[in-house]
Amino acid sequence: MNKKLIGIASSLSLSVAMLAGCTGGAATNSTEPTNTGSNSTSTTSSTARPAVTAPPIEAKGDTIKIGLVASISGALKPWGDDSARGAKLAVDEFNAMNKLGGKRVELIVEDSGSDPKQGQSVTDRLIASGVIGIVGEVASGITAQIAESAFRSGVPVVAVGATKTTLTDVGNNIFRVCYTDALQGPVMARFAYEELGLRNMAVMTDNQQPYSQGLSASFSEKFKALGGKIVREEFYKSGDTQFTSQITNLKGLNPDGIFCSGYFTEVGIIAREVGQQGLKVKLLGGDGWDSSELQNSGEAILGGYFCNHYNSAEDRPEVAQFLTSWKKAYDGSTPGTTMGALGYDAAMLMCDALTRAEKLDTHALIKAIDETVGFKGVSGVIDLKGHNGNPPKRALVVELQKSGQVFAKAYEPEEN
Amino acid sequence: MTWLAALDVNGLPQQLTNGIVVGAIYALIALGYTMVYGVLKLINFAHGEVFMIGCFISLFVSWSLGYTSSSIPTATNPSALMWMILASMLVCGLVGVFLERFAYRPMRGQPRINSLITAIGISLFLQYGLSLVFPISPPRTITEQVNPYWQNSVSVTLRAAPQELVNDRAKVVAELKTAVDAQNARMKELGIDSTFRLPEEDKYLVTTVRNLEAKERELGADVNKSETRITVPTGKMIMLVATLALMLLLRWVVMGTAVGRQMRAVSHDFDSASLMGIDVNFVVSMTFFIGSALAGAGGMMAATFQGVALTAFVGLEYGVKAFVAAVLGGIGNIPGAVLGGLLIGMLESIATAFGQSAYQNIVTFFILILVLIVKPAGLLGSAKAEKV
Amino acid sequence: MNFWLVRILSIGAAVGFAWFLSVATVDAPTLLGPRLVALAGMYVTLAVSLNLINGITGQFSIGHAGFFQVGAYTAGILSGLYFKEGMNPMMWVGLMSIAGAITAGIAGLLVGVPSLRLRGDYLAIVTLGFGEIIRIFVTTQQDPLINGATGINVKPQHNAVFLSILLAIACIAVCRNLLQNAHGLPFLAIREDEVASNAMGVNTTKYKVIAFVIGSAFAGAAGALFAHTESFILPDLFKMELSFLILTMVVLGGNGSITGSVVAALVLFYLPEVLRGGEGQATMAFSGPMIVGFFVGLIALVAGIRHSQQRHMSSQAAKFGFLAFTMGAAVLVGVVVSLLAKASPNLSAAKYDVNQLRMVIFSITLVVVMLVRPQGLLGHREFGWGLFTRKSATSEVQA
Repeated sequence: MNKKLIGIASSLSLSVAMLAGCTGGAATNSTEPTNTGSNSTSTTSSTARPAVTAPPIEAKGDTIKIGLVASISGALKPWGDDSARGAKLAVDEFNAMNKLGGKRVELIVEDSGSDPKQGQSVTDRLIASGVIGIVGEVASGITAQIAESAFRSGVPVVAVGATKTTLTDVGNNIFRVCYTDALQGPVMARFAYEELGLRNMAVMTDNQQPYSQGLSASFSEKFKALGGKIVREEFYKSGDTQFTSQITNLKGLNPDGIFCSGYFTEVGIIAREVGQQGLKVKLLGGDGWDSSELQNSGEAILGGYFCNHYNSAEDRPEVAQFLTSWKKAYDGSTPGTTMGALGYDAAMLMCDALTRAEKLDTHALIKAIDETVGFKGVSGVIDLKGHNGNPPKRALVVELQKSGQVFAKAYEPEEN
Repeated sequence: MTWLAALDVNGLPQQLTNGIVVGAIYALIALGYTMVYGVLKLINFAHGEVFMIGCFISLFVSWSLGYTSSSIPTATNPSALMWMILASMLVCGLVGVFLERFAYRPMRGQPRINSLITAIGISLFLQYGLSLVFPISPPRTITEQVNPYWQNSVSVTLRAAPQELVNDRAKVVAELKTAVDAQNARMKELGIDSTFRLPEEDKYLVTTVRNLEAKERELGADVNKSETRITVPTGKMIMLVATLALMLLLRWVVMGTAVGRQMRAVSHDFDSASLMGIDVNFVVSMTFFIGSALAGAGGMMAATFQGVALTAFVGLEYGVKAFVAAVLGGIGNIPGAVLGGLLIGMLESIATAFGQSAYQNIVTFFILILVLIVKPAGLLGSAKAEKV
Repeated sequence: MNFWLVRILSIGAAVGFAWFLSVATVDAPTLLGPRLVALAGMYVTLAVSLNLINGITGQFSIGHAGFFQVGAYTAGILSGLYFKEGMNPMMWVGLMSIAGAITAGIAGLLVGVPSLRLRGDYLAIVTLGFGEIIRIFVTTQQDPLINGATGINVKPQHNAVFLSILLAIACIAVCRNLLQNAHGLPFLAIREDEVASNAMGVNTTKYKVIAFVIGSAFAGAAGALFAHTESFILPDLFKMELSFLILTMVVLGGNGSITGSVVAALVLFYLPEVLRGGEGQATMAFSGPMIVGFFVGLIALVAGIRHSQQRHMSSQAAKFGFLAFTMGAAVLVGVVVSLLAKASPNLSAAKYDVNQLRMVIFSITLVVVMLVRPQGLLGHREFGWGLFTRKSATSEVQA
């Protein structure tokens, strides 16, 4: 009898403790997604970034090693493959231009497996093998760990598609070629409020991804500031396969739109569920939707809008040239996602900085990247000078149709 | 406690129904766990992977029938579903028998922990091994159109909305359709593909659509609030009916056939049963076949009707939950497995209904631990007194 | 020899050994470098502490990764709150590991007490559930100190070689002393026959809980060291697979043998690292069909061996013949399957490196060991000082 009482008592106390923890979490999660600390939504990064303290690493010999961390396996494989191909194309073209007086750039590719921990260990490996710069990654969670490792050794990092705003705060050696969630979220909020006339939105956040958490937060903040209402934020985890209960929950609250801030793998299934339940809402999202397969995952996702980095139908010469080179190098195919162009831009920017650096070592390279002005990338003009690693770039809102991504509206970068 | 306030009482019947639908799959898998435990007193950790194999077999069959993501046969093939479930059940049944023959039978005389560890090993091997063999990345889903009724749904109205409200809404829906047709016709005329490229003078078409959409939504919300209705997509309805049929079939086999009687005898007392002349090897193989076939059926249904994204690791989530369900209901007890499965499904939906979708899985484990403390043999299980 | 002299000398030797390793590894090649040696020490601690629960007390806990995680996050959170730049990293990490041990010990108490009434199978699911609850709970926390699924960067990055080796030695010492002492007899009694020991007046409740608490405390201490060595922890690191890995180490070494757990832990930890091929080099690549064929053939082979062991063969020659036939069949099956696999585009193109195969190798190891030698490498045997004094090198631990 005693054993039973003790058993019940201890598990009751455990459950009370957990419920208290649950409510603590719920109070901040249910209607108002307020995130503090590393999920802050500042549009410009905080003032002074910590400076690199490690001694400079020099490139030795005629080959300059640049590392590329890409998700060649795992859930983000489509992005990783595209970014790797884009980067390789850039390096090949750069070597052909011979701007370094006979020296070549060697791109060493490592697989992050779509996993932050593996990303960290391959970064360490790359640094140990003598790279003076790292290109990568496409996802914020992985890039965060690359940044930490690289900061310790003072190696510059140019991120390809990581949009989480606070990534560049890790150190003054972290840069990116894409916009941040601080831009993306408010852009989608404005698009929803002003262009689509939505007033009551629900948010579906992937609790497993810092990208999704940050994007949901910046979207919600702007949407509420404009006068809209966030009826509810529902959560799921990467890898989840069922969303029936979350969508049923939302149904009762009658939103006119759902902002799905996660990656394409789950967004497709969420959209299907929305369609199956007969919920008539507009679906919106961020660049996590970008994939060549999303338009094939059912009817409900068609007509949805998301924010992307560039559109291959754009009229600029860089885009046309990029597409031609890609076709030639890769058997007449086209890049499936924008990560191809972003990977290309990131690698080309790194190489371009090599030509401008005073010496071929990490410190000089950081300085050269930081002073980049007017770099004409495929995804747009990239200015890094004075911007703490986050280039002001346009955001394109596209509509997802059966034929692919159709351009809807462009938003120029603004400083809030 | 804000989570109490988050509950939408009107939507509760729908949530519970969702729970039952999900729970049906858990129940199917849990049946496999419970049957194997009944005869061998072994927790077959690899059962979740059998479920996963069922999912993949249905995927491959759907591919071979022409339903890939890029091309869909124009003629609907009603027997597609039939082929898929039969193939899944057959292959999974055979996999189960194979596993038992080569991995579990040699362990029969040994302490139970050894069999458990072997089962864990097989489970891991199937997960990681098959993840190499099926490098499907990104995860694929079965095309919706395999299910000929994918766009329909079945509704039960418990409390109807006032008729005028419904009529108003129907009127607005009709108006909306005309407006959308007008907008699309104009776009086709101009040869453009996005509403954002319409010239200024035609923008009113878009605004009309938008306004009507907003009105329809508003009326729809009013209708929703004033009625209590349970909607189940036809596909999931089929799934429920099929699950019920399979469970009844199982009950008939276990209760009404000779083999079933032998199974019950073996699960009651293994040694006595073999002494009474029952071919235990055959009975065990049969049990594994049936249990695994059920898991295969569950796999086919989850993959087809729930659109699960298929990787080699889907078996983990479903397997653990089904195992919890089996234990909850009393492992070794067949009705208990069904009860446990439905309960777990409903618990998950209720957790989400209270706004705690993030904590779904914790709630499941938690309830399990609570039940085990109060009733260590599970809800319907009978505590066997240990005779010394 | 004088009781206290032996004790002091042993402690001195342990500290000296740990210190020696911490210095010797600093400039060593990666395989023997500080990080891997520290990790090896942690895995040894984990295996031996699980052995205390599973092998020595005969319980069935498969949620050990949960205690590891509790310790790691305790260190992470406390470091996030209280660590200041000027503090001595080693002292701080040592302090953290004590904190980790305490919290994990409390967790072990909370898990152990309700599970008293449960038999082996149910205990397994409860411990598994506990491990998952901890992991999911951490994942859902938004507070930046815990940071949910994103993970936290633990501030003083310190390859805790000295502390980890010391912890491993301490863990081994505690378990060994328990076994050789009258204090340890109740644990063994519970393992051998719980009902009988209960009838004989052994307080099974108390000892089971003690086993849980000690085992989890060591796991928690190792967790804190892990947090500081890796400097980046996230809930996904502590999935069920980790619990199964530690279980494999215990089972492979022999359920109940401390030496066995140590050896198995070192082997299973170092194997993938060795096969990694050194710094920056390309990892060994295996082709898809080869792997499929290999594994199918291996299973057939093991089944054949097992079958031949059980069957009663009329003569040695018949046995031999059957074995040869089985091996031939296994090779044939392997070749046929790999030929079939060549036909599939997915399989024939794919090349895998050892990393991806790691879990496959582990699971196969588990199954093969269970089928062929379920008592593990060393069974219940231990290597002890008796190696030098007794005639037989090993002494079996009898209850």
